[in-house]
Amino acid sequence: MSIDIRDVNKKFGTFEALRNVSLTVPSGELVALLGPSGSGKTTLLRIIAGLESPDGGKIHFSGEDATNLHVRERQVGFVFQHYALFRHLTVFDNVAFGLNVKPRKERPAKGAIREKVLELLRLVQLEQLADRYPSQLSGGQRQRVALARALAVEPKVLLLDEPFGALDAKVRLELRRWLRRLHDEIHVTSVFVTHDQEEALEVADRIVVMNEGRVEQMGTPEEVYDNPASPFVYNFLGNVNLFHGRIDGGEARIDNISIEVPDFGSGDNIPAVAYVRPYDIEIYRSRRNHEDIESVVRHIQGAGAVARLELERLDTRELIDAELTRERYRELALRVGEAVYIRPRNLRVFAGGDYQI
Amino acid sequence: MALHNKKNSVIPGFGPTLGYTIFYLSLIVLIPLSALVIKSTDLSWQQFVGAVTADRVLASYRVTFGAALMAAAANAFFGVLVAWVLVRYRFPGKRLVDALVDLPFALPTAVAGITLATVYSSNGWLGRYLEPRGIKVAFTPVGIFVAMTFIGLPFVVRTVQPVLEELESEVEEAAVCLGACRWQTFSRVLFPTLLPSVLTGFALAFARAVGEYGSVIFIAGNMPMVSEITPLLIITKLEQYDYAGATAIASVMLGASFILLFAVNLLQWWSRRYAE
Repeated sequence: MSIDIRDVNKKFGTFEALRNVSLTVPSGELVALLGPSGSGKTTLLRIIAGLESPDGGKIHFSGEDATNLHVRERQVGFVFQHYALFRHLTVFDNVAFGLNVKPRKERPAKGAIREKVLELLRLVQLEQLADRYPSQLSGGQRQRVALARALAVEPKVLLLDEPFGALDAKVRLELRRWLRRLHDEIHVTSVFVTHDQEEALEVADRIVVMNEGRVEQMGTPEEVYDNPASPFVYNFLGNVNLFHGRIDGGEARIDNISIEVPDFGSGDNIPAVAYVRPYDIEIYRSRRNHEDIESVVRHIQGAGAVARLELERLDTRELIDAELTRERYRELALRVGEAVYIRPRNLRVFAGGDYQI
Repeated sequence: MALHNKKNSVIPGFGPTLGYTIFYLSLIVLIPLSALVIKSTDLSWQQFVGAVTADRVLASYRVTFGAALMAAAANAFFGVLVAWVLVRYRFPGKRLVDALVDLPFALPTAVAGITLATVYSSNGWLGRYLEPRGIKVAFTPVGIFVAMTFIGLPFVVRTVQPVLEELESEVEEAAVCLGACRWQTFSRVLFPTLLPSVLTGFALAFARAVGEYGSVIFIAGNMPMVSEITPLLIITKLEQYDYAGATAIASVMLGASFILLFAVNLLQWWSRRYAE
């Protein structure tokens, strides 16, 4: 089932949580709402679920208006950050809850419920723990119970609010891969909220980057990572270095580098910032031409697949982060305090001042 | 277990702390109570049975325990309601209402009794409207129920309130998302979570009501066989220098209360079985 969100607004007092948000979640996809806290992503998720009502705008499920539908009638599965399990019920009864509260006419027979619950527990790999109470489970197990419980009613949409937020790093990694595999198996339209860009990039088919109640960009993980639409998205998805300069008549001058930027028209003397990823900083031991920036190595972290260097520009004293492959790092054999020449590549120029998160 | 915890416990010394606990409980609870039971053995078995099963005494048990159970039940119901309102809603004067709940704790019981008797008497504020409708409260068993409800109110409210405050609203939202209607959310999710605290409050309110003397005697009318509570009967016996008879009835009360409280504790333990 596809979800259409059209011009949704929401205010809490004077705080504008959502400002004219429109987006489409295609049927069967796993979509991540990514943004910093306060960006409105959880509010949007709760509005989709019907736990919150929008001040304006419409929600459509498969083309049908669902804006005024009660939570109970929306057939959504919701997974909470802190699990929200019923602690007085066993794992089995937690999962069976949604089936047990159905009106008598629609309720499956006892045996059918039992079979369904056990099947779901097998799916989340918790068959052996059916008789335990939530307090006897680990965080990762609890979240899997919550997921099985949400899936028991065969929801048309699965909504997950920071589902891995309360778990430790290792379990989180495991569980998000598992969620990806699960989604590939059951293909239910899913939306999950996260502030962890790595999580969104790894798990989602499509990412919606949100900031201050607005959608900044929508696209596949590659699209938003390789082609950020705004400085905010650039900043939010991974580390970045800033180079300041000016735009004159469709040409940006960032330090001694000139870049054609036809998008900015013929305006003169527009302040500009160029964004460069750490792995797009080239390092050389000797100057090759006038574009190179002279710097000093301040810190080296050589362990791992890439070597991370902290460099200081000699002219402006600004710090620059760089990442080198292991081979290149060995080849250069750099030491702290040595002078080097750097050259940024793949600069992405935005007009205006700095953008801070 | 004691051995295991010796090194790691914050308060060192399982021995001394347990010893002090037992000493304290003995001094405050066990010694006086065993003195009571021992005193009652002044009577022979026949005399004992005779003293505690006289018609007037049996009637007083019925009045005391019956009214106490009903009062505790009423408090369990309305106490949850009051706690719910105090936790879930914001309204002007909420803090005042919150403070009001504790008043029955602080008020001398005699004051409560006199006040209730005045208000419910045939020309009192409430009594004058109730009496023409055939509802007599003051100087009847109903009055006992009213007085016991009054003094037991804070218990349920104060035990349920913190549990209700800690309850995450997410749990209710989860139930609604799964298709539960309001009643199902309450009966299947909220109530089972609140039950242990309701039972605790019920047990405390009941225990307090059984032992209540001061407020009840002013409103009860104290008619033998009808509205005479057991504690009053004990006082009466004492005034007649029948110490053994008084302690015999007292030890029956003690035993009955203990059994009832123990039963409630078992129930409570059962309702919390998920939390171990």
